[in-house]
This record gives sequence, structure tokens and C-alpha cells, in this order.
Amino acid sequence: MERQIINKKKRVFSVEPNKIPPSEVFTRKYTRLLVPALKKLNMNKNSSQANQLTVKHEVDMALALSAQEFAWSRFLLQKLSSSNNPTTTTSSSSNGIRIQKRSGKEGGDEDGEIEEKMRELQKLLPGGEEMNVEEMLGEIGNYIKCLELQTIALKSIVEDTT
Amino acid sequence: MLESLVSLESMSLSSMDVSVLERLKWLQQQQQQVLSTTNASPELLQFHGTNNDELLQNTFSHFQMLGSGFGPNYSMGFGPSHEAMDGCISRTNSCQMDQADTVGVMLKNSEENITISLKNKRKSEVKTREEEKTEKKIKVEAETELNMKVKSNLSNTEASSETSKQKSKAASENQKLDYIHVRARRGQATDRHSLAERARREKISKKMKYLQDLVPGCNKVTGRAGMLDEIINYVQSLQRQVEFLSMKLAVLNPELELAMEDLSVKQFQAYFTNLPVVVASKPSLMVDAPLFPLDQQGSLDLSVINPNQATTIEAPSASWETQSQSLYNTSSLGFQY
Repeated sequence: MERQIINKKKRVFSVEPNKIPPSEVFTRKYTRLLVPALKKLNMNKNSSQANQLTVKHEVDMALALSAQEFAWSRFLLQKLSSSNNPTTTTSSSSNGIRIQKRSGKEGGDEDGEIEEKMRELQKLLPGGEEMNVEEMLGEIGNYIKCLELQTIALKSIVEDTT
Repeated sequence: MLESLVSLESMSLSSMDVSVLERLKWLQQQQQQVLSTTNASPELLQFHGTNNDELLQNTFSHFQMLGSGFGPNYSMGFGPSHEAMDGCISRTNSCQMDQADTVGVMLKNSEENITISLKNKRKSEVKTREEEKTEKKIKVEAETELNMKVKSNLSNTEASSETSKQKSKAASENQKLDYIHVRARRGQATDRHSLAERARREKISKKMKYLQDLVPGCNKVTGRAGMLDEIINYVQSLQRQVEFLSMKLAVLNPELELAMEDLSVKQFQAYFTNLPVVVASKPSLMVDAPLFPLDQQGSLDLSVINPNQATTIEAPSASWETQSQSLYNTSSLGFQY
């Protein structure tokens, strides 16, 4: 009986793929990629640092692979594949930069300020520096969306295991 | 220029026959001749007007001969854009417009027509091409409206003669100012660079508005700098969250095998809660479906429940049934690495 049900599940096909909202598509892809990958990971009890890095790598990889219609995912994939040590494209570095900029640009040129912020935003987005401003603004929109969905997916995965 | 026009036409007007292309070429020539013999003075504009009237008349008659191909467009073109055009032009009438405004009006309407009927969206070298497109549109599909307007306006009032003058002015402006494809507002500079700048700025502000909707809390902040700040903060916080969660996952990973089956259920619960407020979604996640004893082997098959309604899921077996009936492709999403 269980086996039957499992088999049934495996034979499902999508009849109207276009009508699935993209957020669902993304999240589904994401979890389907990430969870098995995490399972396959050879978790080394000793070095938690390496564990974290590989997990982060898998997380980023899953993100990039689930969102392949966007430009930034290409850049993210490049970054992931090129570097053996896939450090965060994300928080630690940009934190510092933000603080510096904050203090340094008080009474300055307003347009210059906006430019600075745009550049910062570009740094946050994978591949943002290679895009021009308009393109980047558009890509940031869907990057944000995907990040949100990713956090939801990760939260649910984490909760499932606790 | 004619060659480029022809090539553009052949690409974009696949449905039209050759006769139309020839006519357009002829029109182009006509208008160029007209232009070369005049400059923009009011008296000569009348000359423009009549000339264009004739041109439009001719094309109108030719157009009628075209027949069924343009049937729907033909009738469709009249109604709404007729009023729109009238509205625009009367507005511009009252405002003592300068040249660029008429250009803007014409182009705006013709652009709408373009987006409705033609589907070319190439942005490179767009300026000349869009200009040519607008000219074509004015001639081929909007021409009937123009003609109607010209005729009706001429027959109606004195002000309408002004309208036709302005329209013809605009038509000639289309010829001259080949690269304008943005609506120029009243009193603003109309040279090429500032118009391009304005177009760019408008695009950017459109995108900023979209981002404003996306990022929570952006409405309270005014000005680009503040909004950008908010966006940056938001992206950073999202990224930090992801990192934190992945760290947690790294710690928890050995226990991943257990209780993964209801993942899909919980995901969709999360969808229906407020997305950015991820914390608030936690309680709803907790209240969820019971553990499914089914998939305790390693193979995970997260086929998806129909997301249309699921505040609670009754029985595990029932939900798996619905999953199997739900229409999502599982096989295509391989584990590609």
C-alpha cells in the first residue's frame, strides 16, 4: 500500500506548467535540490567549520540552480564553481562596508550618495557589478524574492529536523 | 534610410503584403519632399496640413482596398484611441504647446498602437527604428484615425484647424526628429540627450517603485537614498538569515533523514502567511500536519500538494492521494550538479 502510493507519486506530471506560480516552482525546486544534497553530504563531526562551509555551498548552489532564469544565478553559479572555498557572497564583508559608508557620507553630494548606495547594492547582488544600473535594479527585485523563498524553505527544513 | 525602412517592414509587417510596403515607401518619399520644401512656419504648416491630408486620403483609400487583413484592427483602432487622441490633442490645444509636446502626443498614441498590434521590442538601435515604426503606425493603422480626425476636425471648428496643423506639424516632426521616442513634457528640454536622460530616469524610477512594493517598510521613507538604504538593509538581513539558517542546518544535518516528509506541507503553509515576516510564519508551521509515516526510507519524494487550499491536512493517506493527482512535474527536476 505504501509502496503503491509512493509509486503513484513518482508518476506525476504537470499538465499546465505555466499556471504554477513561480514562487512555488522556485521553492519546490529548491527543496528538491537541497535536501537530497544535504543528505549526501558527508558530514564530518569534527570540523564544524568545514561543515558549515559545505552546507553554505550547497545552499547557494541550490539557490542558483532553482532560479536559473535570472541573470544573477548565472553569476552565482560561476562563483560557486570557480572557488573551491565558496565564502559568503553575503553578510560579513558588506556589513563593514555599510558602516563605513554611513559615517563617511554625511553632508556630501546627494547624487554621489545615491551612486554609492547603488554600488553597494551591486556588491550585494551576485554579478551585480557587471550589470548596469537599470538591469541591476530589476535583478535585485527577483533576487530579493528568491532570498525570501529560500529563507522560508530553509526554515521549514530546519524545523523539520528539530 | 529607405532600405532600412524596407528591411524593418519586411521583418515586422509579415502579415502585410508588398503593396503596403510600396505605399509606405511612397508616403515616405512624399513626406520627405514636403519637408525639404518647407520650414516650420505657421503658414507653411497649413501647406503641410493639406499635403498630409492628401497623403492620408490616398493612403486611406489604399488602405480600404487592403481588405480583410486589417479588419479587426481597423475597427478597433477607431474607438478608443480616437477618443484618446482627441483628448490628448484638445488638451494640448488648450495649453499652447510647443513642438515637442505634439511630438510627444503623437508618439505616445502611436506607441500604444504599436504595443497593441506590432510585437517588436528591440531596444538596440531603437531610436531610428521606433521612429520609423511610429511613422508607419501613423500611416498604416492610425492613419485612418488621423484621417477621420483630420476630416472631422476640419469640418467642425476653428480650433480643429489648429489641431490639424499641429497634427501635421507633429507628423513632420516625426520626420525630422528621428530619435525621440519618449513623451516630452511641457516646458522641458527637447534635445536628444536630455530626452534620453529622461527616458533612463523614468525607467529607473519605475524599477524603484517596484522595489518599494517588494521591500517592506519602504513606503515610509521618501527619496531615493532612503529607499536604497532600506533595500540594502533588507537584502543584507535576508542574506544573514540564510547564512544563519544554513549554519543551523549544518549542525542539524545528521538528523535530516527524519521527518522530512511533511516538508512540502509546511512549505505551503508558509506561502500563505505573510512572506517577509518569516518569524510570524513559525507558529503556523508548528500547528501543522502530523508526521507521515510513509517515507521513512531514504528516498525522498516531495511531490506537492495542491496548494489551493490547505489550512490543515486531514489524513496522511488522503493528502498523498491528492498529491499524486496534482499536476506537477517531478521528473524534470533532476538533481543536477
